[in-house]
Amino acid sequence: MMKKFINKPEDLTKELLEGLAMANEDIIELVDGNLVVNKKLKDADRVTVVTLGGTGHEPALQGFVGEGMADIAVCGDIFAAPGPESCIKALEMADRGKGVLFVVLNHAGDMLTANLTMKAAKARNLQVVKVVTQEDVTTAPREDAENRRGFVGCVPLYKIAGGAALQGKSLEEVAAIAQKFADNMAAISVSLTGATHPVTGGSLAVLNDDEMGVGMGQHGEGGGYKLPVKTSSETVALLMEELLKDLDIKKGEKLMCVINGCGATTLMEQLITYRDAVNFLKDRGIEVVANMVGEILTVQETGGYQLFIARMDDELLSYWKEYSNTPYYKS
Amino acid sequence: MQITMKEFQKMLGSASSALNEKIDEFSRIDSLFGDGDHGVTMERISKEIAVTATMDYRSISEMLQDLSKRVMNVNGGSAGPLYGIVFEGFADGLEGVSEIGRDEMKAMFAGALDGFALVSRAKEGDKTMMDVLIAACRKAETCQKALPEFLHEVAEAAREGAERTKLFQAKFGRARFHKEATIGTMDAGACSLATLISGFAAGLN
Repeated sequence: MMKKFINKPEDLTKELLEGLAMANEDIIELVDGNLVVNKKLKDADRVTVVTLGGTGHEPALQGFVGEGMADIAVCGDIFAAPGPESCIKALEMADRGKGVLFVVLNHAGDMLTANLTMKAAKARNLQVVKVVTQEDVTTAPREDAENRRGFVGCVPLYKIAGGAALQGKSLEEVAAIAQKFADNMAAISVSLTGATHPVTGGSLAVLNDDEMGVGMGQHGEGGGYKLPVKTSSETVALLMEELLKDLDIKKGEKLMCVINGCGATTLMEQLITYRDAVNFLKDRGIEVVANMVGEILTVQETGGYQLFIARMDDELLSYWKEYSNTPYYKS
Repeated sequence: MQITMKEFQKMLGSASSALNEKIDEFSRIDSLFGDGDHGVTMERISKEIAVTATMDYRSISEMLQDLSKRVMNVNGGSAGPLYGIVFEGFADGLEGVSEIGRDEMKAMFAGALDGFALVSRAKEGDKTMMDVLIAACRKAETCQKALPEFLHEVAEAAREGAERTKLFQAKFGRARFHKEATIGTMDAGACSLATLISGFAAGLN
């Protein structure tokens, strides 16, 4: 039995986007019912950033629209990609003469829509470069990026790309910077409890009381494996080992570390996890120079988190430290 | 038998009803290895099909183009664009045609297969809608019967194609992460596409 404070299941996306716009009317506006748009886009004399994806992952993706991050988020239904038509409209709106970076998470529907959109964008001579995020390490090795899912990494990537755009970089430069960051990200998910699909009431991922699921994906869509529940520091050690191996991180390197609470994991647990992650890395001679801790890309009331790292250098750090003002991230 | 706009709209109406009857079934299958909302998207697509069946168009091809555009943009994940491509392919196969006989219908299914080939690398046996479309096209190529028997045989082949997806391991979409566990379950998209084609056939009686 589904227990959620909602109205009609078929109106979820519409109503949550209206709520987001009402709560942040100085930062964003809602256009056509599913485009969340940076209110300062009209004055942007720079490269802009557009992204697309399903809803139900609040605050991502649309909660990170604003100066210094994404300029437009094209929103689909719950966990479902939008169609290409609204993406094309978003790209046209976003192009302020300096071109658009189109950030796409590697999920079947998102990719299909993005490919159809890019085809149409080419036909209309829009200046667009697509960057795909695919940092999940559990589903495939790095060489087989096509089979790696996009996790929370899109959000810090909006910030890196948005920061580079604010510094006046060209579309080619912003795209190269975003791609470099994307190529140096790795993430893994761990879950304790599943969630209910807010439209159908069906369950997403089922775990026994004594189990945790490693690498089960953003919608509980599986893959990965189950283990008996471990402590925070044991879990971090297990996950971090996989990430460091995936990126071949060596002693002396600098990292961004993100703890992304998936919906039902408390901030207390997230902070303990972050502490354990930083200490684990310190023991290896690896320094954390940037971080995010909190609910960034959730899957309803899933218990668990995504552990994310990215290789950083001074250049990337300068974009990361740029100004940003979005509903759910300000710096 | 030659199918005119009026009959084609009857086929669309019948396909919409056939889909509506299976909405819960689509979600149930999708919940095993996906996120369980294929029925939600198919309900929207079915609504667009039903609306199209009542509107006025200059040609069957124009009607299917319009349907394609609306289905493509239901914002329901992969199924929207994929069904948009199916209808766009049907429209391409029927370009300039005012009455549909067996050969035109063969071209209609072939058009959908061509459209798919442009966006997907899925092959037969990858446990996708492609298994249904390939089975339907293969039957359409060889079946010498006239309409409506022709379409009934194609629909039967489509159903068999969907049934065969139970034997395969998913290679595309969210289900692929479940690997061999997907063997034994029908692909949700294959199930809905076979239902659509069966619905077409049922509307022709």
